[in-house]
Amino acid sequence: MELRMKMPKLLQTLPLLILSALPLSAHAVEAGEPAPAFELPLLNEAGENVSLAELRGKVVYVDFWASWCPPCLVSIPLLNELRDKYVAEGRPFEILAVNVDSDPQAGIEFLLDEPVNYVVASDPVGKTPALYGVPGMPTSYLLDAEGRVRLVHEGFKRSDIDMIEAEVVKLLEELE
Amino acid sequence: MKLLSTLLVLLGCALLAGCAPVAAWERGTLARPEMAFESDALEGALDDHIYFSKEASSGGNSTSGGGCGCN
Repeated sequence: MELRMKMPKLLQTLPLLILSALPLSAHAVEAGEPAPAFELPLLNEAGENVSLAELRGKVVYVDFWASWCPPCLVSIPLLNELRDKYVAEGRPFEILAVNVDSDPQAGIEFLLDEPVNYVVASDPVGKTPALYGVPGMPTSYLLDAEGRVRLVHEGFKRSDIDMIEAEVVKLLEELE
Repeated sequence: MKLLSTLLVLLGCALLAGCAPVAAWERGTLARPEMAFESDALEGALDDHIYFSKEASSGGNSTSGGGCGCN
């Protein structure tokens, strides 16, 4: 009898318990929003920084990756190929990769085996992915020349590169 | 009694606040092979195959052989 009297009270506290378990999640950047600005040190050149603002005026593909993330590693040679193709044509396209390995050495070692021609920044404490509210690994953001996010791409499988290329071409054509 | 239950609820709230999700970019340690329930990808795939055959269903499990569940 006593228990039955107590139950409603316990139930009343349930929403409170559930609410306290909810994470205070950061805002996730979506297509149409301006890309948050950031400046980070380069992964493989100590003392040098790169900022997103430097690339304003170009179509920019911002790629968050880590050496422990298998789909990220699949994407890297394909992205490098895509970047080289359009840069060789003199098109205003660039990739800015952000490595989020907590030990940057792991990222450096991966790039020794799989070198890339685009700039790779290092963010071992993860403040940039937190700023963007990166939902999964890898996540990439395709920005137009005004620095506006036009595409958010989460995950990566080999066939995704065709869709990404089509979007890049679309944004490059807007500039002509 | 009332004090005790209040304390229990408060303790419950405090403990639940510890249940924070691991952010996607912080899963480097979780992605290590030794963190997986089944670190052998092939054996994991075989187990999945047996499970799907018995349950006549597919999907819903995590990726085999890896801990990060990136996709």
